[in-house]
Amino acid sequence: FFSQIDVHLELEDQLAKFMRTEEAIIYSYGFATIASAIPAYAKRGDIVFVDEAACFAIQKGLQASRSNIKLFRHNDMADLERLLKEQETEDQKNPRKARVTRRFIVVEGLYMNTGDVCPLPELIKLKYKYKVRIFLEESLSFGVLGEHGRGITEHFGINIDDIDLISANMENSLASIGGFCCGRSFIIDHQRLSGQGYCFSASLPPLLAAAAIEALNIMEDNPDIFQTLRTKCARIHEALQGISGLKVVGETFSPALHLQLEESCGSRENDMKLLKRVVDYCMNNGIALTQACYLEKEEKCLPPPSIRVVITVEQTEQELDKAASLLKEAAQSVLN
Amino acid sequence: MNVGVAHSEVNPNTRVMNSRGIWLAYVIGVLHVVLLSIPFFSIPVVWTLTNIIHNLVMYLLLHTVKGTPFETPDQGKDRLLTHWEQIDYGTQCTSSRKFLSISPVVLYLLTSFYTKYDPAHFVVNTASLLSVLLPKLPQFHGVRLFGINTY
Repeated sequence: FFSQIDVHLELEDQLAKFMRTEEAIIYSYGFATIASAIPAYAKRGDIVFVDEAACFAIQKGLQASRSNIKLFRHNDMADLERLLKEQETEDQKNPRKARVTRRFIVVEGLYMNTGDVCPLPELIKLKYKYKVRIFLEESLSFGVLGEHGRGITEHFGINIDDIDLISANMENSLASIGGFCCGRSFIIDHQRLSGQGYCFSASLPPLLAAAAIEALNIMEDNPDIFQTLRTKCARIHEALQGISGLKVVGETFSPALHLQLEESCGSRENDMKLLKRVVDYCMNNGIALTQACYLEKEEKCLPPPSIRVVITVEQTEQELDKAASLLKEAAQSVLN
Repeated sequence: MNVGVAHSEVNPNTRVMNSRGIWLAYVIGVLHVVLLSIPFFSIPVVWTLTNIIHNLVMYLLLHTVKGTPFETPDQGKDRLLTHWEQIDYGTQCTSSRKFLSISPVVLYLLTSFYTKYDPAHFVVNTASLLSVLLPKLPQFHGVRLFGINTY
């Protein structure tokens, strides 16, 4: 908003064209994207159904929205349907209140905390059955899933107009900073004045907006990089399967996997120390890994401690094999 | 933005009745209606009509319509409150509230005088006055009788 120049507008147009939606809006901080988008639409008295494994940014957005949050078990559509049915019976008891309550479902395309995909086709069915709006957070799946990298809607072959709002981080696959939301003009235009992270903040540095435009051009010119990325992810996923003491959590085509301890040693602290030793071993031998960090006291559903392995398309096969074998060695030496 | 325009008021609706000149505009507005109504009816009817219309409009604007016509940064805290309940963020007996409570009473006194205390006019005017005074009592803050106008 403040100090927005032509590069930002160009990026918004290009993103809207790429995602085949009517309009897009750029935020200057990736975390603030979904954390501002949710409170712009959900207010006090509204109901939001959200997955347990939603990332911290979503949780903060929900907290800022002051609406009633209903958590459902991760990727469990039966649980969600149960909650929706309960809400429906409540609505029938008080139809006047139901008429002024807005209902939303917030899910992620590819979950950062668990590395798996949300079952979008079933969600769309539930959406039309119970009249709820869907907010999709595609930070990890944008530029990864789908034939041309358009995200989970392309992956499942769903019409993009079925999703009310798509929000994504440009900090992952576009290698820039900031984030964007895209959808119908009617929905996105509202955020220009009500999105706190847009209205009361400055735009991202023009250099990085230009970098994002260039990244989008690369994505459009080479659509085969997505298939390459998926094969590399599958390769790593397979290579890491046999490690004793660590189990791989995540889909085969997810570029972010978690390596969790097969048996925990009692307390979270000890688990984290053990994983730290694995990470340090790898670091000393030339591979940089990280543990997934959480604000333990603030998360609603704290995931177990893990090492988060992230793969990019630029890494060569030898590098990936080397990393996998080094991890095996590290696990052997530290955990046995 | 322009100099001196930014304010940190979360809900501007609460300070409307404190704005500069609004009490004077209110008084002149009422007199305007009175003056306009005179040529067609007799004086008692005119005054009774002024009283009724004033109270009706006041009831609709202050006690029926809820929420704000603009978007507020407080996530819809006052979405279910009427304008009267929003004045000064719910503080009772402020000067705006006193002014708005006294003006229907003043109008009622003038009306009773000009209708020469006629019984039929008295009934109508008193009912109208009560309908606009009762919702202003502090005990009625947030009260919705029979669930009307709750959502």
